[in-house]
Amino acid sequence: MSYAYLFKYIIIGDTGVGKSCLLLQFTDKRFQPVHDLTIGVEFGARMITIDNKPIKLQIWDTAGQESFRSITRSYYRGAAGALLVYDITRRETFNHLASWLEDARQHANANMTIMLIGNKCDLAHRRAVTTEEGQQFAKDHGLIFMEASAKTAQNVEEAFIKTASTIYTKIQDGVFDVSNESYGIKVGYGGIPGPSGGRDGSSSQGAIIVSFVENYGEEKWRKYGELIYNFMVY
Amino acid sequence: MQEAELHDLSDDADYAASQQEGSASMMRCYSSKLSTSSETEGAEIVYLKDNVAIHPTQYAFERISGRLKLIKQGSALFMTWIPYKRQSTNAKLSEKDRNLYTIRAVPFADVRSIRRHTPALGWQYIIVVLSSGRNRLAFPPLYFYNGGVREFLTTIKQHVFLVRSVEDTNVFLLNDFQNPLQRTLSSLELPRAVSIPSMPSTPALPRESTSHENQERTDVGISDVSASIPQYNGKRRQKFHDPARDISIQVLEKFSFVTKFARETTSQLFRESHGNGFRPLERRKSNQSDDYSHKPSDDAEGVAVQSPVAPDPVEVYVCSLCQLIALCNNASAHLSMESVLGHGPTGTWFSTSIPGNLMPTSILVEQKVPYREHNRDGEAATNVGTFELISYKEFDKLSLVWGKPRQPPLGLEEWATFLDSEGRVVDSKALRKRIFYGGIEHKLRKEVWAILLGYHTYESTYAERKHQRSIKKTEYETIKSQWQSISPAQAKRFTKFRERKGLIEKDVVRTDRSLSFYDGDDNPNVNLLRDILLTYSFYNFDLGYCQGMSDLLSPILFVMEDESESFWCFVALMECLGPNFNRDQSGMHSQLFALSKLVELLDNPLHNYFKQNDCLNYFFCFRWMLIQFKRELEYEKTMRLWEVLWTHYLSEHLHLYVGVAILKRYRGKIIGEQMDFDTLIRFINELSGRIDLDATLRDAEALCICAGEKGADCIPPGTPPSMPVDNGLLYSQQDEVL
Repeated sequence: MSYAYLFKYIIIGDTGVGKSCLLLQFTDKRFQPVHDLTIGVEFGARMITIDNKPIKLQIWDTAGQESFRSITRSYYRGAAGALLVYDITRRETFNHLASWLEDARQHANANMTIMLIGNKCDLAHRRAVTTEEGQQFAKDHGLIFMEASAKTAQNVEEAFIKTASTIYTKIQDGVFDVSNESYGIKVGYGGIPGPSGGRDGSSSQGAIIVSFVENYGEEKWRKYGELIYNFMVY
Repeated sequence: MQEAELHDLSDDADYAASQQEGSASMMRCYSSKLSTSSETEGAEIVYLKDNVAIHPTQYAFERISGRLKLIKQGSALFMTWIPYKRQSTNAKLSEKDRNLYTIRAVPFADVRSIRRHTPALGWQYIIVVLSSGRNRLAFPPLYFYNGGVREFLTTIKQHVFLVRSVEDTNVFLLNDFQNPLQRTLSSLELPRAVSIPSMPSTPALPRESTSHENQERTDVGISDVSASIPQYNGKRRQKFHDPARDISIQVLEKFSFVTKFARETTSQLFRESHGNGFRPLERRKSNQSDDYSHKPSDDAEGVAVQSPVAPDPVEVYVCSLCQLIALCNNASAHLSMESVLGHGPTGTWFSTSIPGNLMPTSILVEQKVPYREHNRDGEAATNVGTFELISYKEFDKLSLVWGKPRQPPLGLEEWATFLDSEGRVVDSKALRKRIFYGGIEHKLRKEVWAILLGYHTYESTYAERKHQRSIKKTEYETIKSQWQSISPAQAKRFTKFRERKGLIEKDVVRTDRSLSFYDGDDNPNVNLLRDILLTYSFYNFDLGYCQGMSDLLSPILFVMEDESESFWCFVALMECLGPNFNRDQSGMHSQLFALSKLVELLDNPLHNYFKQNDCLNYFFCFRWMLIQFKRELEYEKTMRLWEVLWTHYLSEHLHLYVGVAILKRYRGKIIGEQMDFDTLIRFINELSGRIDLDATLRDAEALCICAGEKGADCIPPGTPPSMPVDNGLLYSQQDEVL
């Protein structure tokens, strides 16, 4: 799969807040409550489209238990975005946000975009953290905020995509030097649409590009892709 | 008398037989020279020891005793070991066996090192490693039944330059021309065809034509080899190469233990091709500078550009064995090898081209001179002549399989043979060995795991085990009642308990739920997991509960099918693996550290790769170590691996070698694709479910044996699953979260 950009995401937060479920809902569009608990790290990936450009999200889903923090810290390196998750029905998971944030600030690059997610908002009747508290925390720490439910899929897509478009805007604004991969961004095919729009289906344009890459290789695509793309557009 | 002895040597029936069979072309050179000159100069036996034996197999009746002699002739010292003629001990010993092992007049000029081994139990033995430039050989261990190792070494010291290694006091070095002047002088000496004793350990001139051919080759593995030659020589010049630190020598020493089968195979090969009488040493021209100045371009670009993947040192050696056997099995005479893996005075032991532990080459299989048409198949110039290369692609196929073939699992009937009438395990070592090589049939696991894990002792009888079960059941219930009796009102004031319970409850419903044993709503086995873990967190309150424990408990409950039994087996397992779950991760850090040291020892290029790419924390192996590959293998295979690990048969840290084995299996891909930390960790994660356990275990066994004591030294004391040092407090935890 080719992409204009690849963003590395990391999902962090206390154990049992629903990190893996959010990932699964985003990548597979399903909710599976009985998956195995995460040891170390698990991975997911999905293509999204922002500003008509295919962007690949490579998502690191980490283990939440306190003991594993020292390992988790090594995963921040080169992450462009982070989803910091708490469980709205468990107050302590909200209380621990500050320490997660501290880890993130310390071990990730300063421009990492952080999305705060209050998960399990389908369980409103057991709510232990109000929406306002979440909003306030996000505001205080310069985070984007959403409440979501991995179970009902509410806001899951939005959370991942909103994070990506924030990163994308930062690229457009020149905040990142995209040639430096330590920002968690990789450029594919010179930042123009790749051969496929990913799971959103490939357009006929995409199909042409796929065949070009298959026949002439990525190298040539980088060289001539822009030209071909312009030709197709006009 | 002394002269008579010497004549005995050449008149020896074995020797005559070997001449007929032609199993030692090189030997003929030494011996004829020796006997010829003895007529003029005379020879003196300076050391003689009877009852020095070799152990071709583990069986006592197959041991071969013989007489070890040191013979001085002129300024040269020779060593011989001649097995006794058919008598007393081993009637089974065939003439062929005797020829196979006989050591006939090896000049000490060819000896690189002697390692002395002093086992706590058993006889002292030595391993003699030869050095013929890049061609090194190791003789099988010589066991001194009547003592005399010290005297042997003392005698040698009186006649030749012998120094004790700085690194390892049990290693004695010979002919190590550390002093550049001395080396230069020695390289000026005449070729050995003229003067036997003064063989310099210097590489010879490569053939120009072949080096040009190599330059044009595109095959990565092949250019790699030729490129490594100058680099190797450069290194050797700069650095005193101490065999004690040289893994290649150690591996060679290990190979000196290889099975009789392999030796016979080698010998057979050697005999088949012997008639041509080609001796590489005759072509040697001692011209060191030419050797390392050839193909200078390789230094500049060849290494980096053409050979991204440094060859695997151990694989090179291990593959040499595989290749050897493969060649024997392949009747095709197409290659018509002069010999495989180099020559030696006896033509039987193993030799590889070893440029130290830094940049080993591919296996070089020597090619006969007349077969020039093979050049297109790849040749490399080396000091010993022209070699045909076995390309790395072939190695991939052969891969790293050296450990003994896996056996079928231990079954009920065979299990009964390990027990006496009252149920005691008669020979625990034999049992552990049996399980190490085959595992246990599932229906038998319940009974054997309890013993392997140490819940029951090997010496316990059926009755004692039954008795213990009932006592332990009561004990378990007592501990369990401690948390069961906590009232809701008490729990409200007991945060640590609530948190622990909540965490365990969250995790047991996320443990192996895809297995029918644990699936479905309100599965009683899930509740058992919870109860056992919670009880354990009270039994070992300091350690508490940590994620990963449910993964370790799950197969135990699945096998034991009993709450109390599972608990106590889990307790026994955690006695060893508990430190993996230390809050400060100290246990895991020592695991990963040990793993990195083992890779450094067993695959230096891979280690260097990790180092360069900032991957030395080995976090990519975290899950492997924490839960002992449970997430990497299918459930049944996990149980198989665990019971093998629990035998502690070769090492209590076999799981580390399993880790090294897997990394080595994919080393080509890891280095070839220039994986960075992120890519590597994803790659390793994706190996889950794709690991061939049997092959990996065989690799691990081979690596464990190869690493030997050096490997054990890599593992810091207390690294799980070492039994904890009993110093009162087992776990000193900070009173933090849980």
